[in-house]
Amino acid sequence: MKRAYLFIIFLFIVKLVSAQNTPEKNISVNFQQTKIEAFVDELEAKSGYHFYVDTAQFDSLKITLQVNDKPLAAILGMAFNNTIYHYTIIPEAAQVFLTKGKQIKTGLASGYFNNTRPGHNNQVLPGVAAATAVTATEFSGDKEAPATEATIENKTYEIGLKTNNIQPGNSILSGYVKDIKSGESVVGASIVVADTKTGVVTDQFGYYTITLPRGRQTLIIHGIGMRDTKRQIILYSEGRLNIEMQEQVFALKEVKISADKVANVRSTEMGTNKLDIKSIKQVPAVFGEADILRVVLTLPGVQSVGEATTGFNVRGGSADQNLILLNDATIYNPSHFFGFFSAFDPDIVKDVELYKSSIPEKYGGRLASVLDVTDREGNKKLFTGTAGIGLLTSRINIEGPIIKDKTSFILGARTSYSDWLLSMLPEEYKHSEASFYDVNLGISHQINDKNNIYVNGYLSHDQFKLNSDTAYSYGNKNANIKWKHNFNDKLFSVFLVGYDRYQYSVSSDANPVNGYNLNYNINQSNLKADFTYYVTRKNTIDFGLSSIYYKLHSGDEEPYNNKSLVVPDVVPAEQALESALYFGDKYDITPNFTVDLGVRYSIYNYLGAQTVDYYAPNLPKQSSNVLDSVTYGKNKVIKTYSRPEIRASARYNLNDNTSLKASYNTLTQYIHLLSNTTAISPTDVYKLSDPNIKPQTGDQVSLGIYKNLQSNTIETSVEVYYKRIRNYLDYKSGATLLLNDHIEQDVINTQGKAYGVEFLVKKTEGKLNGWVSYTYSRTFLRQDDPYAGELINNGNYYPANYDKPNDFNFTGNYRFTHRYSVSLNVVYSTGRPITLPVAKYYYDNAERVYYSDRNAYRIPDYFRSDFSVNIEGNHKVHQRFHNSWTFGVYNLTGRANAYSTYFTEQGGSINGYQLSIFAKPIPFINYNIRF
Amino acid sequence: MKKNGKYIIWCGIIAMWALGCKKPYTPNVISSNNNYLVVEGVINTGGDSTVIRLSRTVNLSSGVTINPELNATVIIQSDQNQTYSLHSIGNGQYASTPLTLDNTRKYRLSIGTSDGKAFLSDYVPAIATPPIDSVGFTILNNGVQIYVNTHDPNNNTHYYRWDYNETWIFHAKYDSEYISNDSTDVVPRSPDKQIYQCWGSGISTVITLGSSAKLSQDVIYQSPIIFIPSTSEKIESRYSILLKQYAMTSDGYNYYTILKKNTEQLGSIFDAQPSQLTGNIHCTTDATLPVIGYISAGTVQQKRVYINNSQLPTWQPTYPYTCGLDTAFYASKGPNPVNQVLQNLVPQPNSNITIYAVFGNGPNPIGYTYSDPDCADCSIRGSLTKPSFWQ
Repeated sequence: MKRAYLFIIFLFIVKLVSAQNTPEKNISVNFQQTKIEAFVDELEAKSGYHFYVDTAQFDSLKITLQVNDKPLAAILGMAFNNTIYHYTIIPEAAQVFLTKGKQIKTGLASGYFNNTRPGHNNQVLPGVAAATAVTATEFSGDKEAPATEATIENKTYEIGLKTNNIQPGNSILSGYVKDIKSGESVVGASIVVADTKTGVVTDQFGYYTITLPRGRQTLIIHGIGMRDTKRQIILYSEGRLNIEMQEQVFALKEVKISADKVANVRSTEMGTNKLDIKSIKQVPAVFGEADILRVVLTLPGVQSVGEATTGFNVRGGSADQNLILLNDATIYNPSHFFGFFSAFDPDIVKDVELYKSSIPEKYGGRLASVLDVTDREGNKKLFTGTAGIGLLTSRINIEGPIIKDKTSFILGARTSYSDWLLSMLPEEYKHSEASFYDVNLGISHQINDKNNIYVNGYLSHDQFKLNSDTAYSYGNKNANIKWKHNFNDKLFSVFLVGYDRYQYSVSSDANPVNGYNLNYNINQSNLKADFTYYVTRKNTIDFGLSSIYYKLHSGDEEPYNNKSLVVPDVVPAEQALESALYFGDKYDITPNFTVDLGVRYSIYNYLGAQTVDYYAPNLPKQSSNVLDSVTYGKNKVIKTYSRPEIRASARYNLNDNTSLKASYNTLTQYIHLLSNTTAISPTDVYKLSDPNIKPQTGDQVSLGIYKNLQSNTIETSVEVYYKRIRNYLDYKSGATLLLNDHIEQDVINTQGKAYGVEFLVKKTEGKLNGWVSYTYSRTFLRQDDPYAGELINNGNYYPANYDKPNDFNFTGNYRFTHRYSVSLNVVYSTGRPITLPVAKYYYDNAERVYYSDRNAYRIPDYFRSDFSVNIEGNHKVHQRFHNSWTFGVYNLTGRANAYSTYFTEQGGSINGYQLSIFAKPIPFINYNIRF
Repeated sequence: MKKNGKYIIWCGIIAMWALGCKKPYTPNVISSNNNYLVVEGVINTGGDSTVIRLSRTVNLSSGVTINPELNATVIIQSDQNQTYSLHSIGNGQYASTPLTLDNTRKYRLSIGTSDGKAFLSDYVPAIATPPIDSVGFTILNNGVQIYVNTHDPNNNTHYYRWDYNETWIFHAKYDSEYISNDSTDVVPRSPDKQIYQCWGSGISTVITLGSSAKLSQDVIYQSPIIFIPSTSEKIESRYSILLKQYAMTSDGYNYYTILKKNTEQLGSIFDAQPSQLTGNIHCTTDATLPVIGYISAGTVQQKRVYINNSQLPTWQPTYPYTCGLDTAFYASKGPNPVNQVLQNLVPQPNSNITIYAVFGNGPNPIGYTYSDPDCADCSIRGSLTKPSFWQ
């Protein structure tokens, strides 16, 4: 046996030496139900290779294959894919070995040469890449060395151009980390060099770049939901290593909240939370469907105004100050169905990342946070899918290869079927209607090792009618194309072209004279180029530019039909261009001290065609104070704002498990949301900054201490922050927001301040896992525009609507066996501020109320606990369908939490009421199937 | 059966979700002693007298709402420096004689209160209100909706407010045929003492507004005024509404819109938050002191219409009380007979009202049925006198 191995190795080495001089011949074949004998005969004739095969072992194989102009290896690869048959090509001898069950390895098992001592690398006979690597050579038309596909732990892979003596110094290793089963990239996997502090995390494409000392190294790889693995390499020079990881077979076995155990302590980022879909799915959700935004709300520093809203507030920011990205597309309204569902399909989301203090310089345009939702890539190897049935919605997703190992698609769709349920309600509610659907499509294509294309599309639609004759509908439409290009192992880039749209409409036809249709939409076209340059092991530079062209149709009211007397009222469209240039440098000053300094320079142009009113200075913006009204032509620059934004963070490791971090950010937001309701609703108005409305600005300083305990299975952190906001828009009492041509007359500038401290403890492994968070935070607003006319609270600070000082969350999962687990979720927070009536009086024949200062009081505290039981079907790997059940109870204690309180006049007397949305325990059940 | 049970659970879940839960809420923080002046009224530039009502706010927990402001001086001033005094007519109301003012001028109100504070409203233009075209109704499956149509041929008004007085005939549950003679027995009730048919009345308690500002013509078409449920006794016989129409300025309209939002429209998911309300009256001696109310000026138009029960579908009114009949006998059954009529029906005042006679075998009654005033005396809820305008 040894002899055979040595012989093969010898042949292979010969091949390595001579391969570049023997160009592969491409051949074309057409087999229809061909037996092995005929298959071999034809290939021998066409390729000139001699085949060694025991035809008796192949007697059950029939090959159907049509290929034009492909190398031999490609043809064999296609013929034997997913079979128990293997092939090995020895090009130098023009020989092919076909085997059943076992493959002839052209490499050595690691440790074969026991006498090899480290440090004498020149004596080590190389273990050579396996046959798969050889075929990879044949596939790639690339002139550079191909990536080594490393699938085996106990094997040493050689990287780079082999030299007899390894030069001292560092080289760059890069490549993809992929799921061996589906071929999907593994995002956020950490690659750590054993016995050092050097480590990197794969990017959103599963790509990594690491600088290592040349020589023999062991890499330890952790990935979310993946089995920890290691790879042994000998690094000669720059090179590429693709690592394939195996999925954890038991879906519930491991839960990781953070991308990487060590990353928590070692990265410079702070205030960043990453959630993968598996931990999201464990959190009990109302109606049983995993809800991404609801889980985000359990993170420290994230709050919501109320239960039926999916708008969220991060560290004292308003709901519109969050940049919500789905595969890099901006989602303006992230909720469905009055906020009971979030816009993201849990079946195809891969992970969610929330940046709340150190916002990377490549993001901008919003003040409070970035929520980055990423969908999975389709399975590149085989067709799979899932389906789920819930109380109100059903969903399905299908994915699979278009071209195996190169191109895949993923399609997810959800729809509600609630109308029939609403029709069972009592008469007064019977005529309500509500429904939604959404569709996600993702296509990823690997052109070659250096170029990847990703196409993503998203479409959502909601409509409802609440016991009234007014019908509402809204929807998001997003599409983009991303091209990832690696110039070389040091410089890589992502280019993006995209289009995002949010629209809503309101219509009424009950009264023929007043019937109307109102349409509103925001469109933005995006162009983005991001580059990462890997200067040295200690120094990484990010730079890039982006540009967004906005077009807002801020309201267009039309008569419903020809009986209607409604005068068409069109608010003129608004245009603006928001561009930015950024540069960031992450530098390791010492292994324990890293700084990340970035600057983003944003330029905003408000463009014509537009008519702008100019007001007399130092007087309230009222129609009586208009000095001049100027009409600008198309694409004429009316007003330019620009501002440098600083993004700085630093980390200092106190020891292996503890670090201190600090960050300072400044941010600018050019688009404003005007809402006089507490939630994002389809009657809200967006407004672009213009000569009369200044951009919002904010800055934030935060400090944090991070400590991992129990060999990184328990992560703890404490962060404090202080934030300032300027030019946040509040509205005057009784402001008209919709269809207002002169919205600057109805809004007032406010300034805000927010501060808080956030505690987080996460346990990421073991039978019991989950997280506990506690936040103490305050948010205040103050009207500081002396010319606004009326002053809210006489110009003093008042608490913002989402100011909830105490906020506690517990999210835990206990796994009894691999099939059964239970989850518990406990939420407590201070009630949100409200404006209460303080006196009553009689007016217009009824008792009425006089209200207090704005937000002077609070609704009762909020408490809720949810419980669910998750049952996985059996875990036999080779069955057609895998199913799972989730059932549980939302609001276990049945506490009637006040969503809002209000005072209303009935029959001449005033009564106070509190309105609860989920006032009783709500059982739910959900059935999922995977195929 | 199994299916049925499932149905109920589903309904329960959905109803809980969709309806949520509404519970009374009475926070105890609301006890600050605010005492702000409230001014209500319209400077009537037409041929009717102007009535201004002054009051003070009270604590929410207070049992009374109306806290009239007495002994104030109230004066209407024009922008031509003419003044018209109002005199107290009691209960915090101050009235002028019919003024018939010039509708091209502006007017304001000046108030001096007994605590030495002075208040002044902004000048408001007088607006001539266009006449009401018609008041009509549409029959819906669960009641009747009364609406108004109006228009301004000059395309000048755009903002409207309405209030109304309603009057209706209603009947007690039982028609009392007998009455006590105050000494020995019950006797047939004479027609002048009937307590079966009454006139009920009410006034508008919600703010009703309409606007044609968005329309190409100043037309208000079928703007809803009041909805009367099919089970209401208002429409069991004959109903009448006197609708008053006030033209508004856009500022006045906005004030009423916010007032309505703050006090009538809060609570659902998409409703606006309460907001501060600033009227057009200010305290000149203490500028920080809030004053509630909005003064407008103009003429008032009104129209009365009637709706007969015969114009409506056959609807069954729901009587507001649960009613039943008892019987009192001259000689009660049992071993020791007593005269229940003498005991229960004759003494006055009496909470038992005799309804009709019960006969045995003979020609004379052996007893009478009776009920309580809720069920037999309409005058506890209405007036026995026909209103002067009633047709």
